Amino acid sequence: MILKDLKKYSKYFTEYTELRVQENRNIRISMVNGDIMGNSRTAIGGVSARVYKEGAWGFASNPELDEETIKQVIESATKNALFIDSREKMNKPELPNKKGSSENDFTTSIQKKSQKEMIEFMKKIDDYIKGKFKKLASRTIVVSCLDMEKSLLTSDGSISYSMIPRTIGYVTMTVEKDKQPYELYEVYGGFGQFEDNFENAEDLFPKLNEQYKHLINKSEGIYAEAGIHDCILDADLAGILAHEAIGHTTEADIVKGGSVAGDFLNQKVANELITLVDFANHFEGKLCPVPLFIDDEGTLAEDAIIIEDGVLKKYMNTKEYANHFQMDLTGNARAYSFSDEPLVRMRNTAILPGKSKLEDMIASIENGYYLMQSSNGQADSTSEFMFGVVKGYEIKNGKLGKAIKDTTISGIAFDMLKTVTMVSDDMVWSCGGFCGKKQMLPVGMGGPAIKCKVNIGGK
Amino acid sequence: MKNIEIIQYAQDVLLKAGAEKVQCSLRKSEKHELNVAAGEINLFRTTFNTNLSLTGILKNKKGSITINTLDKKSIDEAAKQVIELAESSKPDEANDISEKQPAKDFSSGPKKPDIDKMYSNLKEFMEYSKEAYPNTILEGINYDFTFSDSILVNSNEVKFGSNKGLYTVVVMFTTKEGKKISSFNYVVYLSKDLEKSIKDCGSIDRLLKQSSEQLETFSIPEKFVGNVIITPDCMDDIIGGVTGFLGDYPLITGVSVYKDKLDKKIADSKLTLHSKPLSEVLASNYYVTYDGFEAGNSTIINKGVLKTFLLGLYGSRKTGLPKAVNQGGCYIIDSGDTSYDEIIKSTEKGILLCRFSGGNPSDNGDFSGVAKNSYYIENGKIKYPISETMINGNLVEMIKNIVQISSERVNSGYHIYPWIKFDGLTVSGK
Repeated sequence: MILKDLKKYSKYFTEYTELRVQENRNIRISMVNGDIMGNSRTAIGGVSARVYKEGAWGFASNPELDEETIKQVIESATKNALFIDSREKMNKPELPNKKGSSENDFTTSIQKKSQKEMIEFMKKIDDYIKGKFKKLASRTIVVSCLDMEKSLLTSDGSISYSMIPRTIGYVTMTVEKDKQPYELYEVYGGFGQFEDNFENAEDLFPKLNEQYKHLINKSEGIYAEAGIHDCILDADLAGILAHEAIGHTTEADIVKGGSVAGDFLNQKVANELITLVDFANHFEGKLCPVPLFIDDEGTLAEDAIIIEDGVLKKYMNTKEYANHFQMDLTGNARAYSFSDEPLVRMRNTAILPGKSKLEDMIASIENGYYLMQSSNGQADSTSEFMFGVVKGYEIKNGKLGKAIKDTTISGIAFDMLKTVTMVSDDMVWSCGGFCGKKQMLPVGMGGPAIKCKVNIGGK
Repeated sequence: MKNIEIIQYAQDVLLKAGAEKVQCSLRKSEKHELNVAAGEINLFRTTFNTNLSLTGILKNKKGSITINTLDKKSIDEAAKQVIELAESSKPDEANDISEKQPAKDFSSGPKKPDIDKMYSNLKEFMEYSKEAYPNTILEGINYDFTFSDSILVNSNEVKFGSNKGLYTVVVMFTTKEGKKISSFNYVVYLSKDLEKSIKDCGSIDRLLKQSSEQLETFSIPEKFVGNVIITPDCMDDIIGGVTGFLGDYPLITGVSVYKDKLDKKIADSKLTLHSKPLSEVLASNYYVTYDGFEAGNSTIINKGVLKTFLLGLYGSRKTGLPKAVNQGGCYIIDSGDTSYDEIIKSTEKGILLCRFSGGNPSDNGDFSGVAKNSYYIENGKIKYPISETMINGNLVEMIKNIVQISSERVNSGYHIYPWIKFDGLTVSGK
């Protein structure tokens, strides 16, 4: 366990200061065609301090955790803040706060498995895939575990300790058809440690059967027809839409940097079927994929309702940007590593479910696509987005037709959301989301299926 | 303990714990970073980092641990865990460490930053940008100096030391006037000194100017199959995709489209691509590979012919194919014989692709994505900036269809690329 009680170091604070001790522990095992290609553990930790002086920030970090180093880190961060303040003289006001105290340790209560047992688990999966799916050209299984353990003390009185784990299993299958390789990967697992997510290998077998079926369909599939089509974005794509295309444009630092959302506050930006929320820690009484209780500035984290019934209501913020936009604090300050400063980051971003049934949504489309799984996504300050699509089917006369090969969809999110006509009544969180805004950070994304018009790449 | 003592201690502990082969590397780094947010210099960071990686092989089974605490107790515990990991693994004869090579020390760049000069460079650049492009918002700038001191040893008596000082500037910007807004764009530039003004580094000024012109964008008139001119600023999307087929994973799994193409023609004969980690004109140069070899320069594609894969030691032993002399990166494309102006003039209809927002290419090379900060070309002239335009193609086919390569090139500090006109890409609008 990391250094938990940081109170004794407050004697070194001279300005507004955040002091954080953190360790990130990773396990990564990769098995390629039955061989162990990677088998590693990483533990990277240390201390950081961030200091604020009238609009100027200083930050410093060091991996050593003795008292003298911690004192030096606080002094170095203070000196850095004064360096900027003496030159820029911004004279900005004091930071607001919504302080709190919390302790959340999600270490598993189940007996821990050794790395050998994890490899044996992967071997069972690999044996099943190898024995069952004879047409495969290659198979890869990766297990990646991340435990993020943090202690925080702020000069305005917040204290927190947390241990937030996430475990992801990636299974990639490849087939060759007409001398061309086709690949499909699936992500399994989510919040919790290995033991919480992967009890019996057999539990994954039905999902692997589904994955293989979709891969074979894809290898025999068609190219999508380029242009704008009626589409159903399944939960995975609705989640990445919520995060990339809307979420980022409504982060307060991006808004201040010129995002189009700066002109849309309290205006209609989507069909009234759309409500979009960045959840702090719970959705309908259950823990979200990446729960956050107190953020890395010591703010009590609360749900941020960004779009309510189609109207843009709020930007996600940190203390600095809550001041700038004169908004309530949302608790969106997050940092990945001990050596990273907190930025405005999303937590668990999702479009809320509607009332339609997925089968009715498919039946309502004469000629279009059902897009089920994304690979990567990017968005712009204009809200123009692009998502890779690696699993999808055409819809012909209200029924699913042939699978489509890998493609890309794009559009202007605030225009596209106005074309939404149906939202399904279910809600699925994707389990392996990462966001790459300066620092790679686990995020939760989720949603129902939505029916909309979108530009699809193809031949 | 000194760095060499730490790493030798780690190696000894691992060998005593039962490892038959050992590789240990230690990297200590110090970073000083000035940050701009929404046009204000508002953050100064000083961070120290340490990474000690221990790898042990016994009975052909491998385990690796990375920690950043360097006391003997932490190293003892890490060595014990390496042995446990290796014992938990499966034997694989491809697991190995590099063979004995002469010990060497390498050094490049300054050891200490000039913070006052960094600050004045940044102020000068912000003032220039404000005056030249008043509607362009410098959304974010990270301007840092990083000094790293690294050492790698293994039980075959390999010992390489290297230290390196490097300045990096990353500029991200958007132009906004009233409710009109451009797409954001960004540029990265690496340097070993502070001699140049920031505006004169790589593509920075050109891309700022383009951004200032991109407040009003238009759809292309019609879908077409034809010319796309890739700029140096988004060439990495193409080169990264192609070199991605040459590494360990696609060749071990056997799905690489180039698996049987060594010494065969895979691209137009106008294309020559090098990987030059020893080049002094690239600030991102390196001297030692992650698997313990002294790095060398290579030509990956020579006049269209594939001359090397990018296999590491493990990938090479696993596939039986030759190991690369480096780990890729530091890419340089030979210049062509047509000027940039001539390339534009000779284009009847096409796209000048300045940034590409695309999905990961498929295993067969298919890709698609959105043209950002880009322009429509007609009758030899750049007509207007475009929006909501998608480009679809296949990397394998694309590099066979090179029409022209420019005589001008841009050095970003981590690659040197020209402009290249490709044919046969599908361009579709709204």
